[in-house]
Amino acid sequence: MLALAAGMPPALAHAGAHPPAARGADSPAAVPQVQPPKQDFVANPAGSYRLPVLQQAANGWVLDGSRVPRRLSRYTHGTVTLLSFVYTYCSDPIGCPLAYATMADLKSRVLADASLHGKVRFVSLSFDPTNDTPDAMRLYGAEHAKSTALPWHFLTTYSPRFLLPILDGYGQDVEVELDAKGAPTRARTHMLKLFLIDPGGGVREIYSAAFLHPEVMFNDIKTLVMEAPAPARQARP
Amino acid sequence: MSKTFHRRTLAIAAAALFAAAAPLGTVHADETCNSPYTARLIKGQERYLHVWTLGVKGMGDGSDKLVTIDVDPKSKQYGKVIHTMSVGGRGEAHHMGFTDDRKYLWAGRLDDNKIFVFDVGTDPTQPKLVRTINDFVAKSGYVGPHTFYAMPGRMLVQALSNKKDHGGVTGIAVYNNQGEYVGKHDMPVNNAAIGGGDGYGYDIGINPEKNVMLTSSFTGWTNYMMDLGTLVKDANAMKNFGNTMAIWDAKTLQPKKVFNVPGAPLEIRWSLKEGQNWAVTATALTSKIWLIKQDAKGEWQAKDVATIGDPAKIPLPVDISITADGKGLWVNTFMDGKTRYFDMTDPENPKQTYEMVAGKQVNMVSQSWDGKRVYLTTSLLGNWDKKGADDEQFLRIYDWDGKELKQKLDIDFYKLKLGRAHHMKFSGEAPTRSASIGAASTLLASGR
Repeated sequence: MLALAAGMPPALAHAGAHPPAARGADSPAAVPQVQPPKQDFVANPAGSYRLPVLQQAANGWVLDGSRVPRRLSRYTHGTVTLLSFVYTYCSDPIGCPLAYATMADLKSRVLADASLHGKVRFVSLSFDPTNDTPDAMRLYGAEHAKSTALPWHFLTTYSPRFLLPILDGYGQDVEVELDAKGAPTRARTHMLKLFLIDPGGGVREIYSAAFLHPEVMFNDIKTLVMEAPAPARQARP
Repeated sequence: MSKTFHRRTLAIAAAALFAAAAPLGTVHADETCNSPYTARLIKGQERYLHVWTLGVKGMGDGSDKLVTIDVDPKSKQYGKVIHTMSVGGRGEAHHMGFTDDRKYLWAGRLDDNKIFVFDVGTDPTQPKLVRTINDFVAKSGYVGPHTFYAMPGRMLVQALSNKKDHGGVTGIAVYNNQGEYVGKHDMPVNNAAIGGGDGYGYDIGINPEKNVMLTSSFTGWTNYMMDLGTLVKDANAMKNFGNTMAIWDAKTLQPKKVFNVPGAPLEIRWSLKEGQNWAVTATALTSKIWLIKQDAKGEWQAKDVATIGDPAKIPLPVDISITADGKGLWVNTFMDGKTRYFDMTDPENPKQTYEMVAGKQVNMVSQSWDGKRVYLTTSLLGNWDKKGADDEQFLRIYDWDGKELKQKLDIDFYKLKLGRAHHMKFSGEAPTRSASIGAASTLLASGR
């Protein structure tokens, strides 16, 4: 189970090979079956609608695979960006694995559309800086992290202190699950959210599990690419 | 005002109105009338009930307030009011809605248009007022923030009126979860391309699987703030009630079609049963259940499928609550104080199978996800509630076994000097098995 299974991140695909009996309480979970929402409608054609600015993209200090600290705005401004908060230990079928599978699907669609080349990037940002080190995120990203065809950045932060302002700024709610003794575990309770950001840093759409229709999301990406360039917005400090 | 006078005057007014009448999914929520985008489902017994309550002059602190009650039968505080959060003043407190992450409750007032944001997620036993939104009228031009409907990262706020003439032409404002205004969408008015429209609004219901949003229609500030006895005697005022529903593209928030639904269609409920994409509403002035679903060609249609009580007696259907399996519908009728259960096994032919007089007046109805517990409150609007001895204000909780409601709890809001009991929302257990990232980090650092 080392190969990717239906767009699953390799960390989870590999973890699924461990028999349950061998796993301790803190072991990675089995490969989940993702459950995308049903779509019983035809998506609105790209460019036929406008996405309002819902909020501004928050900023903060992040780490990429090189461990050099960078401002998050480096990865959310300048081009259309799809940002997802994840953590590598997540096994919720309608959580991070669904986000990963959806983004992998979208990547295929973007690469198949020449008009979008060089104009779209993806970002997966961990909300578990304790365990999701830059190396762990690089492993999680696998071939996607290395791809230059569509830049997909797998980021983390130094510590919760650096993560919290970013989460608050985006309105991403997440909690750490405690064990029976009240000690933090690796599991997180969070609402799946993906943020579509325009080149100026405006968040133009927010997707949750019930809203994660790849056809719609692709058309949203294309709609933003088709927009006339917006006035440059100053990134949040 | 006597009950007989109340009914007779409404009958006259409703007759005049009728003569003049013009022309979700796979995501489940615990309490069946929440937005399908609401997270943090309550599995099993609901623990706390939050009641948005209208203040009454001279009663207690006289302020609108959020009242929290322990509703877990296993709790030592079962049935007790465990917390109240007064917000100051009386602005016609009315309805509330959770944010998508269920952490916050947005609660609105129809007269002064303030929107109060309560944190109920951190500790539902002690809600905290974290924000007051004061720019609703200035930004949108609308009046009367009525329905609060979560979408990812934002809140749709359906209004009832407008600042120009305080009539019923209105729209939907959009705010992000941080309380910042994003934009607005006017209700369709005289749009021949989609079937017309009277511009009125009331409730919102989205079906994500079909990418459609339904809206309904009520009346404007001039009417809803007027004494009901005065209103029903004003033939011109009684013409100013909504007679339409609209179906919208939920993604673009553009209206696609207007339906003629006479008599003020109010609450909207989509069936939550997978594969069943239909919705119902009840009309206040014509006492009908209307069904909205696609026909064989896939076109959305609205039709009258059942009668509620005796329309000639103007029972005034108000709140409704659909069961999680889509097979049942509770309908409250304000004037006769009844709660009624309709078998919706065939939504084209609902059949009333039960009714009970809950009190002198009744408005809101909520139910647990498993349908075994039913909650009722009383207030409709401050100036529409009955007077004198008929003005009972309570929360009553019942067990429902499919055949009969059995009362378990009765909280008299007037006796406790709280005010008029209106909208209800559930909370689950306070988080004891999770911690914020910051708190967890502290725990780790301390060696736990």
